[in-house]
Amino acid sequence: MSQKQQDPLDLGRLEYLQALVTEFQVTESLEAKEQVLANLANFAYDPKNYEYLRQLQVLDLFLDMLTEDNETLVEFAVGGLCNLCLDKTNKDYILAADGVAPVINCLSSSNEETVMSAVTTLMYLTMPQSRQQTTALPVVECMLRFSLSANRRLSNLAKVFLEDYCSPEQVEEARNLSKHTAVGIPLPKD
Amino acid sequence: MAAPGDGVGGFCKHHAQQGVCDSRAKYREGRRPRAVKVYTVNLESRYLLIQGVPALGVMKELVQQFALYGAIEEYNALDEYPAEQFTEVYLIKFQKLQSARIAKRKMDERSFFGSLLHVCYAPEFETVQETREKLQDRRKYIAKATSNRVLFIAKKIQEPKKTASKNLERCFQPETLGVSAADASTSNWDPSARCPYPYKPSCEFSSRNTACPSGDHFQSAMAFPQYVNNSAETSEYNSQSKPLTNSAQERGRTNSPVSLVLQRKVPSDNGIGRFMPRTTQLQERKRKRDQSNQIAFIGTDSDSSEIIIGPRLPEIPKVDMDDDSLNTSASLIRNKLNKVSVTVPKTSGEKPEDSQTKPPIKQRRRI
Repeated sequence: MSQKQQDPLDLGRLEYLQALVTEFQVTESLEAKEQVLANLANFAYDPKNYEYLRQLQVLDLFLDMLTEDNETLVEFAVGGLCNLCLDKTNKDYILAADGVAPVINCLSSSNEETVMSAVTTLMYLTMPQSRQQTTALPVVECMLRFSLSANRRLSNLAKVFLEDYCSPEQVEEARNLSKHTAVGIPLPKD
Repeated sequence: MAAPGDGVGGFCKHHAQQGVCDSRAKYREGRRPRAVKVYTVNLESRYLLIQGVPALGVMKELVQQFALYGAIEEYNALDEYPAEQFTEVYLIKFQKLQSARIAKRKMDERSFFGSLLHVCYAPEFETVQETREKLQDRRKYIAKATSNRVLFIAKKIQEPKKTASKNLERCFQPETLGVSAADASTSNWDPSARCPYPYKPSCEFSSRNTACPSGDHFQSAMAFPQYVNNSAETSEYNSQSKPLTNSAQERGRTNSPVSLVLQRKVPSDNGIGRFMPRTTQLQERKRKRDQSNQIAFIGTDSDSSEIIIGPRLPEIPKVDMDDDSLNTSASLIRNKLNKVSVTVPKTSGEKPEDSQTKPPIKQRRRI
């Protein structure tokens, strides 16, 4: 009886996600890898899947992919993180796994979506204990430049970051600093 | 409204339709062919860009069509936007993100006056404030959903025991779930409605259990994690409730989870002065009526041991008369009315069905 009580959909869900993770690990094809990673990242949008994604250590999978050379893999992985990092447990996990640094690295990507996801992820990861890292001076400086971008999506996002997550002093400090340095990280291609 | 130059109204790369992916493994194939793309909160928007609208002066029809999915706040043609010959591009701003989601899903790739529409989110039309709100809404939604998760699971487990033999409630249930998921973006969640049953994840796999919801449908449901849950849940209920019928009697039935969900406020859109075609208004009205009927039908008096049969009569509304003495007399009249209406059925003899069920306190019947 107790077995029948179990939710067949939920069981199927875990199995399905497990199949995706397995395929990701065993496949030789880069194309399949990208597709599966995109699948997982999209599943990470729905809080219903969080428990399973944690069981399957998909968070580690995403974090590992951030340092890949392949732009697409990085884009999907940081998109996945952006989708699941609001959940308290996931957030704590990412912070404990030192996930902030690789996300900050994504800010210098030339891929627009990667940068967008990275900015949002940094916002969502900002907590009293992580604030120092997520709103470090180079990050704020980067946001200042993004806020001047012609890309409205990016500039909006950067403005929210500067207004809601940084103190006026931080912004001022970054502004002074960027006056002196002409070279910065290039803006993402549009 | 499009101010060219600063990226708004200009052609954005993410609006170019990507090629469909045709190399997916069988088990990962969805219902519809799709490109490989990851959706995040940044890509979503209340703004929808509709390309490929034939230049036949059909804006009214277009807007009417889209208004079926929710109240529209603004709409306009984007004359500057690069478009194929003889087509126009429109921008529609919905009041709610959820409406935009559904509209995009339903209308993308749909034929409209002989031409295929391409519908996509257009977050670059958002103001900074709108972007901020969108991010905040997602934050709220996750906070609510993850604290709800426990309740959700427990309710699902409770559900089959409770309702097994009640057809009507079974059909109500998925809808109720849908409501709770849909109104997730608003934050009127009653914090007192916490669930007493902890969620225990189970990893048991037996070959029997793997024969879960019918292959194809299930797979396709999984392909769109966010949107198709309702239908998936429906199938789950249908497939699950049968074998569980026996257990219904032996287990105590609790009414609380259902009533909790039902009592939750449904977001009402006060679209005053907003464009909303009559068909949408009618649909909306019907939906609201259905909803209040549901509440009246399944409404519970969990504390009273009274046997209730049939729909609950609407209570006499309590009106504030703006005056103490008037209020006092109003409540006197109300009480009197109550007494009369309570005594009448008793004196005129109860239905045979009622008297039969009297001695043991039977579970009340829902109709």
